[in-house]
Amino acid sequence: MNFDDDALDRALFALELEEPPADLRASILTATVYRPAPMFSFYEVLALGAIAAVLLLLVALVVMGGASLFVHSLQAIATVISRTLFDLSTLTWIAAGGATAMWLSIFTVFQPAMASGRKVDVKQHR
Amino acid sequence: MLAEAPRVAVKPGPDDGSLVAMTLGGNSEAFATLVERYDRAVYHLAYRTLHDVEEARDATQEAFFKAYRSLRTFKPGSKFSTWIFAIVYHACCDRLNRRKRYSNEEMPERADPSPGPEREAIAMDEARRLRAAIESLPEKYRTVITLYHLQGKQYEEIAEVLGLPMGTVKTHLFRAKEQLRKLLGAAEVN
Repeated sequence: MNFDDDALDRALFALELEEPPADLRASILTATVYRPAPMFSFYEVLALGAIAAVLLLLVALVVMGGASLFVHSLQAIATVISRTLFDLSTLTWIAAGGATAMWLSIFTVFQPAMASGRKVDVKQHR
Repeated sequence: MLAEAPRVAVKPGPDDGSLVAMTLGGNSEAFATLVERYDRAVYHLAYRTLHDVEEARDATQEAFFKAYRSLRTFKPGSKFSTWIFAIVYHACCDRLNRRKRYSNEEMPERADPSPGPEREAIAMDEARRLRAAIESLPEKYRTVITLYHLQGKQYEEIAEVLGLPMGTVKTHLFRAKEQLRKLLGAAEVN
């Protein structure tokens, strides 16, 4: 067959496009529009990074022993917390508070369920 | 009568510019429609340029990913097809350069002198012979011919995709066709 310019053009335009791999479209969409959103936004990453940097600095100060005041303050806070938690009167108060909360919940927990039950009944009667 | 319409003729529905605007407005389905319209053509260009199914697939995916991420830089009024073809063409060029750097193989700057494709072509029908002939063209001619095939006779857009002057595109196209005719003629004689 003799290919003049028109014949060649016709042949070129009649050529079918290459068949892409079957999952190409799915993989493009997964990489673009259906890509899961990142867990943290840019500003959240920035804030977390700043917090991590401050913590690292504090740890470095403690390890290097150059911040005795900071270490003393931490020790004082830890002492107060441990004393408070293991004090008998504090524990008694916590227990009393917990028991009161449980006792009150007996009266309140079932009320919403009863109310919703009534609503269902009304619907059924209609 | 010549078929001059681009091979990536848009299916009915919103035009590409509207789909880009809709995507930027948060409608992700609009971008899915653009992918549906152009993935085959983009893959075709990548495959013709790279000659490797896996690499063409990666380049296509990379191109759409880049397009999606930089959709805001798309100039309203310009053609999405030209833009995405330019992106995939650059992705292919990067890959070809990397190949060049990491292998001692010569890039196919001239037609493959080995008789393989030609001999094979004898037994093939016209379309297959034409494909084989295109495959054996040097990379720059192959890309021009592929874009000519994809975009119709829109030289300006081909020039924009390749970043070449229009005169150079026309010259490449002329030489590409000349080589194609020779290859096809040779196959005919054999």
